[in-house]
Amino acid sequence: MSRSPNGGLIDRSKSLSFTFDGTSYSGFEGDTLASALVANDVRLIGRSFKYHRPRGILTAGSEEPNALITLRTGARAEPNTRATVTPLFDGLEATSQNRWPSLRFDAMAVNQLFAPIFVAGFYYKTFMWPAAFWEKLYEPLIRRAAGLGRLSMLPDPDHYDREHGFCDLLVIGGGPAGLAAALTAGRAGLRVILADEDVRPGGRLLAEHLEIDDTPGAAWAELVVAELTALPNVNVLGRTTVFGVYDGCEYAAVERLTDHLAHTYPAQPRQRLWKIVAKRAVLATGAIERPLVFGGNDRPGVMTTSAVSTYVNRFAALPGRRAVVFTASDSGWQTALDLLAAGVSVAAVIDPRETAPIAAEALLKAGADILLGARLCDAIGAPVRKVEVHLADGRRRRIACDLVAMGGGWNPAIGLGSNMGARPIWSDAAQSFLLDQTPPGFVAAGAAAGRLALHEALNDGVTQGAAAAEALGMPALKPRFAASDEPASGRPLWHVLGRGKAFVDFQHDVTDKDIALSAREGFVSIEHFKRYTTLGMATDQGKTSQLNGHALLAAATGKSIAEAGTILSRAPYQPVAIGLLAGPHRETHFRPERHTASHHWAIAQGATFVDAGQWKRAQWFARPGEKDWMETVNREVTMTRNGVGICDVSTLGKIDVHGPDAAALLDRLYINTFSTLSIGKARYGVMLRDDGIVMDDGTTTRLAEDSFFVTTTTVNAARVMQHIDYARHVLWPGLDVQATSVTEQWSTYAVAGPHSRALLAQALPGIDLSNEALPFMAAAKFRWNDAPARIFRLSFSGELAFEVSVPATHGDTLIRHLFEIGRTFDAVPYGTEALGVMRIEKGHLAGNELNGMTTAGDLGMARMMSKKKDFIGRVMAARPGLADLKRPSLVGLIPVDQSKQIRAGAHLLPPDAPRTTAYDQGYVTSACWSPTVGHAIALGLLVDGPNRHGERITVHDPVRGADVQAEVCNPVFVDPEGVRVRA
Amino acid sequence: MPDPFSAEPRNRLGIASVMARKGIAAAEICAALGARMPDRPLATFIGGRTVVGTGPGTWLVTEEDAAPDFAETLQQVLAGLASVSDQSGGYAVQRLSGPAARTVLQRGAAIDFHPTAFSTGSAATTVIAHIGIIMWQVDEQPTYDVAMFRSYSQSFRHWLNQTVAAL
Amino acid sequence: MRIPCPYCGDRDSQEFVYRGDAGPVRPDGEEGFFDYVYLRDNPAGPIREHWYHAQGCRSWIVVTRDTRSHAIHGATLAAEAAR
Repeated sequence: MSRSPNGGLIDRSKSLSFTFDGTSYSGFEGDTLASALVANDVRLIGRSFKYHRPRGILTAGSEEPNALITLRTGARAEPNTRATVTPLFDGLEATSQNRWPSLRFDAMAVNQLFAPIFVAGFYYKTFMWPAAFWEKLYEPLIRRAAGLGRLSMLPDPDHYDREHGFCDLLVIGGGPAGLAAALTAGRAGLRVILADEDVRPGGRLLAEHLEIDDTPGAAWAELVVAELTALPNVNVLGRTTVFGVYDGCEYAAVERLTDHLAHTYPAQPRQRLWKIVAKRAVLATGAIERPLVFGGNDRPGVMTTSAVSTYVNRFAALPGRRAVVFTASDSGWQTALDLLAAGVSVAAVIDPRETAPIAAEALLKAGADILLGARLCDAIGAPVRKVEVHLADGRRRRIACDLVAMGGGWNPAIGLGSNMGARPIWSDAAQSFLLDQTPPGFVAAGAAAGRLALHEALNDGVTQGAAAAEALGMPALKPRFAASDEPASGRPLWHVLGRGKAFVDFQHDVTDKDIALSAREGFVSIEHFKRYTTLGMATDQGKTSQLNGHALLAAATGKSIAEAGTILSRAPYQPVAIGLLAGPHRETHFRPERHTASHHWAIAQGATFVDAGQWKRAQWFARPGEKDWMETVNREVTMTRNGVGICDVSTLGKIDVHGPDAAALLDRLYINTFSTLSIGKARYGVMLRDDGIVMDDGTTTRLAEDSFFVTTTTVNAARVMQHIDYARHVLWPGLDVQATSVTEQWSTYAVAGPHSRALLAQALPGIDLSNEALPFMAAAKFRWNDAPARIFRLSFSGELAFEVSVPATHGDTLIRHLFEIGRTFDAVPYGTEALGVMRIEKGHLAGNELNGMTTAGDLGMARMMSKKKDFIGRVMAARPGLADLKRPSLVGLIPVDQSKQIRAGAHLLPPDAPRTTAYDQGYVTSACWSPTVGHAIALGLLVDGPNRHGERITVHDPVRGADVQAEVCNPVFVDPEGVRVRA
Repeated sequence: MPDPFSAEPRNRLGIASVMARKGIAAAEICAALGARMPDRPLATFIGGRTVVGTGPGTWLVTEEDAAPDFAETLQQVLAGLASVSDQSGGYAVQRLSGPAARTVLQRGAAIDFHPTAFSTGSAATTVIAHIGIIMWQVDEQPTYDVAMFRSYSQSFRHWLNQTVAAL
Repeated sequence: MRIPCPYCGDRDSQEFVYRGDAGPVRPDGEEGFFDYVYLRDNPAGPIREHWYHAQGCRSWIVVTRDTRSHAIHGATLAAEAAR
């Protein structure tokens, strides 16, 4: 064990056991998985992406590129989890990744020997040909050799919650700047959301020996959080990462609710997606320490200085016994002091700068070598055993050690700030890229703004918190904080020449040589460079590697870093589970379902359901003994045509169009005329789009002088409503007409077949259903069980038929009542499939024909287009191309050999013509087997079709591979004279 | 202590949508109905009747224990002033109440339910779990009525159950 | 993205249906329909657009949006804008 006997923000009274690659270890409450592994002397955590190099822990934060493990097992296994931000819990199981057969011995590590072919762009060059090899050989090989963790391939068993947040100020990050901003704004009464990704806010205050107002940093953070939590206007969200910035001051965040728990109860969501609308936001995400680029800088045992300080100070976990510190900034010297204080011997502090900060004295006293103007050029051994140092005087020296702390300086964590597309610009003062243009209301503070010192961060937070208050006209008191002073200067060092591989992007295995290669091969634009080398394209988005890479590219191309520029960060800033974004909308709940009032009754009747938009509609009602759906549908059709059938048609769109100008509006919406329709009568109508193509059809009934009841197809209901509103609001706002959807108000049942009148006469006594009182296309109001009800003499089936409508609250009662009475008549329920067969038999149109490509003329309704009035689509429908009589138009098709079937989608070609598109004359839109006529029938669109009845044609089906000879005929197969509907 | 959360269906409600005729001000309709007709997304309560602003010149009127011909009567009263469509069967209304109701709704709708932004008499037509809803706040307990098209009841219930279980 | 509905207030853009440029006006006579149906400008900058608050108050509105930044400068009811 490498745990200091005391100190740290861990609860030593709560011991937690966990396993890594099957071996049991223990840690404490407050540990991360990474800190517990450090304390247990586990240094080898995984193998790298491309070269399978042994890797350890590089950082102590969410920027970690190396220490990726698979957390948990089975369906809950989550690959590529960063051990550095995984709170330890009792029973945690973690597994290393990308190694075979084991972490210590990895066969794929031979990839390192072939490193020359794995350089940037290797697969573009190496695996070019033959093309056939790609899918079968190259890709599987590469995928096995290169990669990270594997998915469980099981459905995610967790569920995910969502919440919408609204605030005056969103503070992103709970370090000193964020806490100061939240406190200032919170005390001023602003609605504040503070989102901090750690298990407890505090940021660097938890990891360093800092004091604010003479209080140790961690204790100060605790006091501030306690005050914030007590304020009713402040919402402190711990374990919450803001991962995206969007238009309109919207932010996305993930709150991790159970990831830190060993056990959860079943209804407990794993994570919550926050969609936050914030008038203003402060980016207080701090800064990320840059690694230094030298040979073997990826060896286990090489860590950033901030990581070393964090493990030592916050977790009392010692990452080594004998350390070498290689730093280009003062913060690294503090790490050396932290190590000393924890009892770790410091062999040397190496700084490329020539002057030492004050800390040097104490280190010298403790026996450390202070090597100024020197560079560490190679770390040797895995885990690291020694380092080679290039001294100021040109000599080389080897130093034995088991820990290298490296500090290249600090990059403000500005990723979120470029989500909206504004490119960060170089700051000479901060020696880093900083946000230039920020999203509206969004500002960086503290280290994220390049102001690294503690007092600067606190001041920045106060200033931005107060600014948010003042912008809302609320006065804010600006608290003053006395912060412990600290030296914070540094000078970037971008590269040290060594013998070993020097890594820039640890997660994607991009080295200094890859960058030089990219420059040599002309990929010098920062965006080309990114894609060619893949630097910054791993799951960490290059948080530790971007600036080093861009600086090296600038050097290789002779540009300044400012000229070379930097890339943008995209949401999600940190990886998030797909399940989080899906929330409850997955599997059968992917979208809501709509059920008609007869749904439960239909289930009880054994209905099979089909989706029609969001609606669940009964497709057919199978009876015991029926061998397939076809037998069921044939029975439903035959029993309806010979007796009586009942179908729920409630899903059709229904719209009340009211007002003095209702008729005038309908005349403009439909190709035919409704102003001439008598009260109590219905009429079929067709509406066009602006471009002259058919949009929808349906019947409209006039219930009063100023009251029409419009129906639409099921799937177009919302679109037609929108179209009507467009006409009312935009096209003709002067018309006095009101419209509203009443689709859901009415349960409507079609009662069809020769016995329908007799059935309804018993079911709805007192209503005159005679031809005189209620002729075809007539409608009447009545009361049913006191409720307002309506009956329409309409028929989609071509039979004598009625549609009965009652309020949906009465729909279940009515369907049961109809079948109760219907027993005497052997009434049959029929579904959408029988409905479809009967409408094809009658040549009625449906979605297959109203397919967004057909004109009214194509569908045999050219004469319906009124010439006496204007209507939407009229002028455009008259374009020569759309009005051409030779266009494919509606016909019926019967197979010459009546044992054959015709399939929808098949193409129509002249007999004996080559089967090529040049001879294509149309296609089949709808096809079925007709139990009424006893053979297959189909509807299709055929060039000059109406003039070709009696002709033979080839129905060519290249996809399903069956050619059928067919005869062109009238598209009405059953009762073409329409005797039955008027019976 | 009241229950942290309860959800009850409101049955036997008469429901109608009312749309003003061209050039008719809300005040005229108001005079005919004896109810204040808010021309903003607000709800007004008079006895068992609630009038909810759902759009410009558009309201949803609900009435407790309404007669079956509730909408027809309303149409007669408003003849020449507004168009009325019966929606008594069209909407299902759920009453959500208790201290946790605000959080439940905040997890469904992208509307700010903070008391300073949404209080008794506030109303919104919006979306929860891809389901269109009209909702209004009834009291400060808080109690909310949520109206949705009836066919969505089961899907709404699924969302509600899952959200409440996660409280 | 949030869209300021003149009736409902600021709302999530998912509640709206986008139509496009609010500029073209449906011609009264026989001419100009091709331009009305098919021709659209694609300005880099502010544009007045038709949006439908389908999941809200069902109003067609005219939104002024900057295509470069998605900044929304305001919205009016289409029925009022037409007057």
